[in-house]
Amino acid sequence: MSRLLALLLLLIAAVPAAAQTAATPPQTPAVAPQAATPTVQEARALTALPLDSGLPVIVRAGLGFVNVEAIDENEEAFTATVDLRLQWTDLRLRYPAEETPVGYREWRGPAVDAQLAAMWHPQIGIANMRGEPTRQSRSLRLYPDGRVEMLRRVSGAFAAPMDVQRFPFDRQFLAVELVSERETANQVLLDYRQDDLAFSRADAAIAIPGWNLGAVTLARDPLPGWYGESYARLRVALEIDRSALQTVPGLFVPLLASLLIPLLGTWLNELRDGEFEIEAFEFTNILIGGLFAVIALSFTVYSERSILASGINTISMLFALNFAALALAIVINVALVHFSAVRAVAGRHVQHETFLFILWALPVAVAAIAAALILVAAA
Amino acid sequence: MMRFRKAAPRALIVAAGLVILVLTIGSNLLFGGMTSTVERNQIELMRSIIAFNIEGAGVNALARAEMTASDPLVRELLARGDRPGLLAHTLPMFLEQRDKYGVDQVQFHLAPATSFLRLQAPERHGDDLSRFRPIVVAVNRERTARRGVAIAATGPAVFGVAPVRDPAGNHVGSVEFGLDFGALLDRLKAAYGLELTLFIDEEPLRNFARGIRPGVISEQNRVGTTMRLHSTNWTLMQDLVNGDDLRIHDETRDWVRDSGGTSYGVVLYPLLSGSGETLGAIAVARSFESTRGAAGRSTVLQALFALLGFVALAGVILIVVRGYLVRPLAAITQRFATVGAGERPEPDEDDRFLSEEMAALADEHRRIADLVEGRKKR
Repeated sequence: MSRLLALLLLLIAAVPAAAQTAATPPQTPAVAPQAATPTVQEARALTALPLDSGLPVIVRAGLGFVNVEAIDENEEAFTATVDLRLQWTDLRLRYPAEETPVGYREWRGPAVDAQLAAMWHPQIGIANMRGEPTRQSRSLRLYPDGRVEMLRRVSGAFAAPMDVQRFPFDRQFLAVELVSERETANQVLLDYRQDDLAFSRADAAIAIPGWNLGAVTLARDPLPGWYGESYARLRVALEIDRSALQTVPGLFVPLLASLLIPLLGTWLNELRDGEFEIEAFEFTNILIGGLFAVIALSFTVYSERSILASGINTISMLFALNFAALALAIVINVALVHFSAVRAVAGRHVQHETFLFILWALPVAVAAIAAALILVAAA
Repeated sequence: MMRFRKAAPRALIVAAGLVILVLTIGSNLLFGGMTSTVERNQIELMRSIIAFNIEGAGVNALARAEMTASDPLVRELLARGDRPGLLAHTLPMFLEQRDKYGVDQVQFHLAPATSFLRLQAPERHGDDLSRFRPIVVAVNRERTARRGVAIAATGPAVFGVAPVRDPAGNHVGSVEFGLDFGALLDRLKAAYGLELTLFIDEEPLRNFARGIRPGVISEQNRVGTTMRLHSTNWTLMQDLVNGDDLRIHDETRDWVRDSGGTSYGVVLYPLLSGSGETLGAIAVARSFESTRGAAGRSTVLQALFALLGFVALAGVILIVVRGYLVRPLAAITQRFATVGAGERPEPDEDDRFLSEEMAALADEHRRIADLVEGRKKR
């Protein structure tokens, strides 16, 4: 009886509970999705491209050079630390100014990633970065009016194609290429204004041995994409001028000195009434020795500065002049001295005068061409 | 006595040298003229770019002003004198225009020229603009839209002013849009690679721009009689434009000046108000490194080719005069000297290369020598 009574009591107690339980389930899914769905939509909306101010979204960019550790001309790269600043406005992120007495909300370190995951941000990559950054840090500020400022400090190696045609009077550009990797130029535009120009400068303490620092320039240069689209690209470049004087002892002195070898090969001979006093064989020995000396010099120079070996520049032209002068001297010695080619054609009197002419004309021509090559580079 | 051996080649070489020199100078002047023409065109292009863009900015400002002036609600609110309502209606539009398009001033006026509402400074209103805003006075007097450069209370800008009528069609005032010079110059730099600096005369700036942001009128921005308000690269521009250059800026001027070893073409473009008063100037600079470099390289190469040409010609003259004439003549003269001396020089195998005239002389020597020797034997 007592068991029956207990069962009855349990049933009485269970019925309202069951009734409550039965009533609750429809409410829970009904409420939960209603509460969750807007959150997910909001979250999705916040990570989508902001359209409130129309397209394209203007992302203002500035880049400052904090340090330039090294320049590797042969690899056409430089190692540097740069500060990248991106600014854009997302009106969906506005909030009452009273919430932040300092005037902005700020995130640093890992908190930046979490915040960025919850909002739209332009995916601006550094197109000419070689490998991964050796060091990287970020900060994010959000202002009450929806303005977002993202700072990124990046250390690493950057590709920097170098044009050494005017070596050693060349000017190079240590460029950092910012590219919108996700959105096309119709959606995101990289731009800059006065304060971005002011931000984009090289730290006054930067010193690169052998180079003089110039200004930082910004230039927009859209990157062609598929189907006629393009992607916003901004080149921020630090101008550097080579200190030409520093290249004189190591490069120009030996190169110009080696030009004397072919001249010696002609100067040392003597003529007596149209007849050569010394055999061509002895001078050809000097010239062949000179040829090997110039080859060795070119090997040394090009090993140290392989970038000069590719393409036309002052150094390669001076080497060409060296080889041409040697070739000419050998031809003179063989044709004029050994085979007396001029005498065979025009007699010894003409040969005599021809040789006298070569004695002064060859050095004048070689010196003039060498000077012109250097002056053309300097112009 | 003149020595033919030296005098003749010298005369010929000097003549050849002079011809080469004249030709080289002529070609250099010709190329220099071409370079100047290219640079002249560049300077003209720079002037056109700035003129066209200021004109375009004026048209843009005017288009915005006319669209706003035709907004029925704007007309109604201005006619009613409902400042808060007008502010609420137009402020979002202004903020977006400011951020995206460099519209930094929007102002409504009541006729004839009283400031009714400045969207960039809503707290400043009610002042009389007739003294320093002739364009506003003109629009309200003639009831026709106008555009031009002016210095407003918050600074200089390119303005477009359109008359506003109430819903019944009666003229009530005007609305103006002012486009910021800074944004305009930044865009020109981005588009054309030009460096630009805006200079505004200090006197009108002090008199009219009472609400300009602090720090603009300062010693560090003073250049001659003007204030530097905006520059895309002041480090460079301060080498290219100085106070003396700005002393006269009521007409377009240009010059070429060096900075950091690079030549730049500079154009000083005057900013004139609607009434023709000079308000300041925009300096535009562009590197002439390519043209100057090409001219320099051309000069060097022309000099080199001239020198090589001179050397070659001198060589030909020396070899021909001395090798074919003087030296054989000397050899034959020596042979004549031996005539009668009892010794006969060996026949010269190179006589076969003698010219006809020289060969005749050599034959004559042989004939005389034979004659003398024959007489001696007899």
